Amino acid sequence: MTEAVLFWLFAVVAVAGGLGVVLARDPLHGALSLLAAFFALAGLFLLLAAQLLAVLQVLVYAGAILVLFLLVILLLDLGPARAAASPPGVVKLAGALGALGLAGLLCTLFLSASFPPAVPPSDFGAVAAVGRVLFIDYTLPFEAISLLLLAAILGAVVVAKGKV
Amino acid sequence: MPVSLADILALLPEILLSLGALLLMMTEVFLAGARRGYQALLAALFTAAAFAAFLAQRGGGPRVLFGGFAVSDGFALFAGATICAGLLVTVVLGAGFLAPRSAERGEFYALALLAAAGMCLLVRAEDLLFVFIALELMSVPTYALVAYLRTGDRPSEAAFKYFLLGAFSSALFLYGAALVFGATGRTSLSGIAAAGGGKLLLAGLALVIAGLSFKIAAVPFHMWAPDVYEGASTPVTAFMAVGVKAASFAVLTRILVTAFGAPALAAVWQPLVVALALLTMVFGNLLALTQRNVKRMLAYSSVAHAGYLLVAVAAASRGFSGPSARGEAVSSLLFYLAAYTLTTAGAFGALAALERMGPDPQPWDLDRFAGLAKRRPWAAAATAMLMLSLAGIPPTVGFIGKLLVFKAAVDAGLVPLAIAGVLASVVGLYYYLRVVVVMYMQPAPLGSVPTPASWPLDLVLVATATLVLLFGLAPAGLANAALSSTGLLGG
Repeated sequence: MTEAVLFWLFAVVAVAGGLGVVLARDPLHGALSLLAAFFALAGLFLLLAAQLLAVLQVLVYAGAILVLFLLVILLLDLGPARAAASPPGVVKLAGALGALGLAGLLCTLFLSASFPPAVPPSDFGAVAAVGRVLFIDYTLPFEAISLLLLAAILGAVVVAKGKV
Repeated sequence: MPVSLADILALLPEILLSLGALLLMMTEVFLAGARRGYQALLAALFTAAAFAAFLAQRGGGPRVLFGGFAVSDGFALFAGATICAGLLVTVVLGAGFLAPRSAERGEFYALALLAAAGMCLLVRAEDLLFVFIALELMSVPTYALVAYLRTGDRPSEAAFKYFLLGAFSSALFLYGAALVFGATGRTSLSGIAAAGGGKLLLAGLALVIAGLSFKIAAVPFHMWAPDVYEGASTPVTAFMAVGVKAASFAVLTRILVTAFGAPALAAVWQPLVVALALLTMVFGNLLALTQRNVKRMLAYSSVAHAGYLLVAVAAASRGFSGPSARGEAVSSLLFYLAAYTLTTAGAFGALAALERMGPDPQPWDLDRFAGLAKRRPWAAAATAMLMLSLAGIPPTVGFIGKLLVFKAAVDAGLVPLAIAGVLASVVGLYYYLRVVVVMYMQPAPLGSVPTPASWPLDLVLVATATLVLLFGLAPAGLANAALSSTGLLGG
């Protein structure tokens, strides 16, 4: 019972936060909505017994990435978005119809599909289990991601540095 | 599952490329001086070493690496060697193009090597999760490379466009992979093939194809290609047209044939791929017709070539053809990729050789080619050879590639598609031969300043044109290598 209540609480906050990111005019409000969504998501991870993931979600996303977002917003001094170029009504209508159609399609797909029940191992979500999976089972993707991060840093330096 | 030394050794080409990238980054810190010619040499050496490593690994049977994330099979080795050849041309092009503009930096080569490492991992990826990581490792350095040389506002616009659409296509692919995982509970390609699934799997398949169609610039996912290809500096354009396309085609083929190769599924994706191939061949060639800007023309031409390659992918569907026909189709794809890599990289080299320094409102206009045969007969002859190969005229390797692809299509029962392909290439003749006509028949416009020759660019031109002719006259070696490289693990 408590679990269901908590799930709905976190789920509603997560979706509301996501909507806030999209709908907020002021980028600062958008970033704060994102923060709420991150915390709610961490709560959902906790409900799934993935403690490490929940902690990392708060530490990395809410703690580091979002602070970076806020810094950039403050540095660039972005005010509320100017309501300059609103797309024409036809485009809006087409977008809404497309989104509704996609949502309907996905709903029918998900409702018609049968998902095999997942059986998590007994030590699921514990630090030791995640470490084993990350550094032994997933060695190759892990190393490839470190290369990817290096490439991203190098690319950011190249783009940010003065024109060549 | 412990990591074995043999697994690490199998990844030697990728390790060499990454090592080269790290070393080049270090040279920029410790050895940065006015003279940076050694950086291109260093990059070329590591690329050649990776190429040799791919060749040396041939002959062994298919093997699973690192517990099923990657494989080492003939298909991956051939595609990897092709990518390294494309990278080598890019490096030499970069040296010849950037040095006179005093824009040569270690970062350029490091990014190219990192992207190539991603491409080589991509062609051997055997797990959707790892496919995504390799896809990003290929794409992220490429976005930065597009923004590397920023003169005027075109490159920034191109880089931003490429970044946004690239991120969008990656998201499409990722969503498709997630749906496939939801339907089957697996991410490994062989696991997906074993599990099967319902409508959800089909939705995932469609999204995976759409995501990769952006990367290969197939119509109707090609909108970004002309702008991005035009805005990027020419060596980067060559790298995108050659490397990104080859790697994306290899992984598309591997996913379709291994994970979705069951007859029931192949019956679903084959018509999709046929439709994509048809649209891409027709519109790629028609849109190229009207271009006076040779760089945009080559961009549309690379779209059209994606169509011919898609014909080979469609022919590789197992549902309608036997295993031998599938091997023929896969080998024709590999041969075409190698031929396309050589020819397209060389053609962009010709463009780079004619580009002027400094601001220029129309740097790639057809007029730049006028009178080239008088001024630089060798460069003109090489360019003509490359254009003939792009058009698919004997005795060039482009002709053999088209022949093999269309033959595979006919053998797989796709006769109408093969006929459409031949007709589309006839349309293509017009705009390729127009370049040759302008070079040989029109005098240089009065008062035009000829671009000074640069030996690395001339080397690229002559080397690619020679190889194009050589493989066109004696295709047996390359064709046999492609034929013996069709062993797809689990396919």
